[in-house]
Amino acid sequence: MTCRHSQEEVELNLASMLDMAFQLLFFFILTFKPPPAEGQILLRMPPPQPVIGVGTQRAGEDENKDPNEVKPVKTLTITVVSKEGGIDAIAVGVPPEMRPVPVINQLNDELSKYFTGSGDAFEQVIINASPELAWSELMRVVEICTSQRFSDGKPLGKLSFVALPSSQMP
Amino acid sequence: MSGSRRGAQKAEPNLTPILDMVFQLITFFVLVVNFKSAELDLTLNLPVVGSARPRPSGTNRMLVLNVKDDKGEVALSVMGVLHKKDAIKPYLDRESKSALIANDMTFDDVKDGSKEMKDLMVIRADAKCPFGHVNYVITACQEVGFRNYCLKTAPVVAGRPQR
Repeated sequence: MTCRHSQEEVELNLASMLDMAFQLLFFFILTFKPPPAEGQILLRMPPPQPVIGVGTQRAGEDENKDPNEVKPVKTLTITVVSKEGGIDAIAVGVPPEMRPVPVINQLNDELSKYFTGSGDAFEQVIINASPELAWSELMRVVEICTSQRFSDGKPLGKLSFVALPSSQMP
Repeated sequence: MSGSRRGAQKAEPNLTPILDMVFQLITFFVLVVNFKSAELDLTLNLPVVGSARPRPSGTNRMLVLNVKDDKGEVALSVMGVLHKKDAIKPYLDRESKSALIANDMTFDDVKDGSKEMKDLMVIRADAKCPFGHVNYVITACQEVGFRNYCLKTAPVVAGRPQR
């Protein structure tokens, strides 16, 4: 008991700790840069495979096939031709039967016909585009493609890009 | 003067509350600091796409590729390091090899399609970047076995015209 009476009150000097804490605070305030809010489109993009039109594969065709041969994939093709970075012309279909789309706003309706009519028959969508087409313009086409749904409600997730050779340019 | 000095008492402010508050602020900044921002090239002007969704949590390992135009040639900016056209394929080849090791796979597994790398390639390309540049990077990624891609976009902001 006598020991307690003899103890003196101990006071920590908090000023130096406060100095250090302020230094840390200023560092974090100055280096704080919140990341920008960004959206995203998730896609599975295997390399483009050989194309086959829907309905061109006959029954029993696989029987005598070379097992090492690359299997063609039923493909819907969208061709986008550019003029000065913008979209000049769009065509949709299964080559060689391509249907022109006058304006990009009609692309959704045109694609809906393919997806609701024979949607499940397509295994991949290939977008052929001019190399000089601006990325933002192509993303408008990608957005319309990814908004399509198969008849079972699944979204289109398999897409490939191909750059048009200059010989196919108008 | 000397009498008033002798009579003055030593005034010590109570620093404990201010120290508490400063530590609270430091904790906040430590928790919200995001080192992922270093991967993003904030000079890029991403295309605006209305239907794009924010990134879901719990995704796989990802590699952020900032694609830009460098005097008419494609260039790739990764973690602040600029790879010019000639260096893009060797860089992606190295990344593919490390991803294959991490996934305990071989390139033959990926090539014959028996296995698939789950790594996500995040493509951040400038809105005005030509498609040929982006396609060069995507094709190079496909050649080394990457299959899953995330195309980054800017969200639609109210009052900002949508391209």
